[in-house]
Amino acid sequence: MSQPADDPVLHSARREAIVVFITWVCAFAWTVTVCYLRGYNRKLEDVSFVLGFPDWVFWGIIVPWGACFALSYWFSYFFMTDADLGTDPDEAATAGGDGGDADHA
Amino acid sequence: MPSDASSAGYGTLVMLMLLIGASVWLGTVAQRVVERGSFVKGYFLGNRGLGAWALALTATVQSGGTFMGFPSLVYTHGWIVALWIAGYMVVPITGFGVLGKRLAQLSRRTGAITVPDLFRERFASPAVGLTAMLFILLYMSFMMVAQFKAGALIMKVSWPGSGALALTEDAGGGYDRYYYIGLSIFAATVVGYTLIGGFLAAVWTDLFQSIMMFFGVVMLFVLALRATGGIENATRGAVDQLNRLEPKLRAAAERQVDDAVAKGAISESEAERRREAARGRNLDGDAYALGPGFAPDGRTFLPLGLAFSFFFTWVYAGMGSPASIVRVMASKSTEHIRRSIFLLNSYNAMIYVPLVVICICGRSLIPDLPAGKTDEVIPRLTVKLTEPLPAGSLLAGLVLTAPFGAVMATVSGYLVVIASALVRDVYQRFVRPDASATEIRRLTYVIMIVVGLIAFAANLKPVAYLQAIVVFSGSGGASTFVVPALMAAYWRRATTAGTLAAMIAGGGTLIGLYVTGFVLPGYDPLIGQVTKFRPYFLLGLDPIVWGLSASLVAGIAVSLITSPPRAEHISRLFDAQLASA
Repeated sequence: MSQPADDPVLHSARREAIVVFITWVCAFAWTVTVCYLRGYNRKLEDVSFVLGFPDWVFWGIIVPWGACFALSYWFSYFFMTDADLGTDPDEAATAGGDGGDADHA
Repeated sequence: MPSDASSAGYGTLVMLMLLIGASVWLGTVAQRVVERGSFVKGYFLGNRGLGAWALALTATVQSGGTFMGFPSLVYTHGWIVALWIAGYMVVPITGFGVLGKRLAQLSRRTGAITVPDLFRERFASPAVGLTAMLFILLYMSFMMVAQFKAGALIMKVSWPGSGALALTEDAGGGYDRYYYIGLSIFAATVVGYTLIGGFLAAVWTDLFQSIMMFFGVVMLFVLALRATGGIENATRGAVDQLNRLEPKLRAAAERQVDDAVAKGAISESEAERRREAARGRNLDGDAYALGPGFAPDGRTFLPLGLAFSFFFTWVYAGMGSPASIVRVMASKSTEHIRRSIFLLNSYNAMIYVPLVVICICGRSLIPDLPAGKTDEVIPRLTVKLTEPLPAGSLLAGLVLTAPFGAVMATVSGYLVVIASALVRDVYQRFVRPDASATEIRRLTYVIMIVVGLIAFAANLKPVAYLQAIVVFSGSGGASTFVVPALMAAYWRRATTAGTLAAMIAGGGTLIGLYVTGFVLPGYDPLIGQVTKFRPYFLLGLDPIVWGLSASLVAGIAVSLITSPPRAEHISRLFDAQLASA
């Protein structure tokens, strides 16, 4: 018996979920590492300020936040695809009826 | 003694009344829309009509905590809280990009209206639906009770002559007649408009309030920077203020330890450990600009283990929150889901980073709020900064409506989820499957009123540390629902038993660690927030990491050792359907 094809929404959603997971891992690794190495066990006199932020906040949080902002634009408008989500079973059955308030268990 | 300097003016009250009026009006508009179609789908799911803006600005984990608990943490611990919240940089993309599209499709394909409905239909198992419903009731109830306190406090602060901003007031004395009036007005308003308009009322008021919140933050950001002369000045000012207060704070911390020893609450060796902390570097003013953060009792607010954990907390709390899942299920189309990702990312960036800056400015401008009053940093700062301005009271009102709006929106959304869980997933499933629409409608109203009354009663003696409860509920939702939702969306081999195991192992582990931390006599590893609502930090990690891990292992292992699900059921949900199907 041949393997049935995946639903197209499942297929695209899985591909997008993998990209999101990689994004999370990268943001996580960058932020925690940079903040820990540059923000912990330091003296205030060694800290410089970038655009007013302590340097470890700027490089560890503001910069990756900006990168995630740009990436979310790419993801939303260029990577994630549109697909038909389908209709509820009651709508498909009644095709424009009132749907009935007694939608039961 | 109340005075203009210690209370908000009438303008604040006027703005709040306008917000309340607008919310009730939106509730009535929503009611008209609901009445056009099926009551259940309209009232609990808005007829699956959410657009990008509504989805982006409402399906988030913003709440009263955003404007009260979170600012209190920044005010107390300093810049390190920016790392604590940094997971929000990916929350929009993880929240909608992983599960959004697929859960929206599954809910349509199965006709699911609620989150338990979705699990029940996906796994063809009433037990899975019932288990999901019980966990949802637990987490939502905790969260909602905490939010009522936040709403009442904001009403109190807004009341002219309440003296709610008086610095001499101790935490316990804060619950006076103004608090109870605030609690009553808040409860009546939020239950009222939610009851009228259901899910859509919750969403529309949430959207409206999110926009108000945005303007409130922007205005406060500008005023705070102007008052301090910039971010660096604010940081240096806060550090200087704390260095000035340091001897007083160290003495207070030592006194606290002595009191605990005198009461027999801690042993002498534990007391020595705490004294050691109170003499450490975390009580230097410099710690305010560094990791692991300043702490008035010398604790280590964000050690590496917790910094690591909080990148899980916010991301997976956003993904697993039942209130967020239900809004994804209500989305209009994939186009709206993907546009909402970018909208929400923009919004978060413009809310959270400025809020950190505002509260750093707050520490510089109002340096010595006592412990227990730090939740009021935003209201106090707002009144202080707007007071000299023309129509300052109205401007303060605009800012103060933001947290009130956030709290109302959160409670409203939770009321709908709780009512839908009881009506749809208990009454309609197990008690009277053939209940008429009128009966369902009446029962929904009764449940909302009863839930509101319970939350009201629970807040007559309110809980402390709103943000700790927000973290518990969010972590609980994540530990219980993220892995099962991923299994439901992507794994054909996931079984009913595996999903139940994932829910129970995840939720059970998290709750178990919280209970252990709470009941263990004198347990305080001196990390994280100061709160009695403290979990057991196994290996220094937050319970969410253990909850998610346990859920993942249990879900996979139990699925693999139990019989695969029925092929035709899985095919209906996972395979490409013929056009006519």
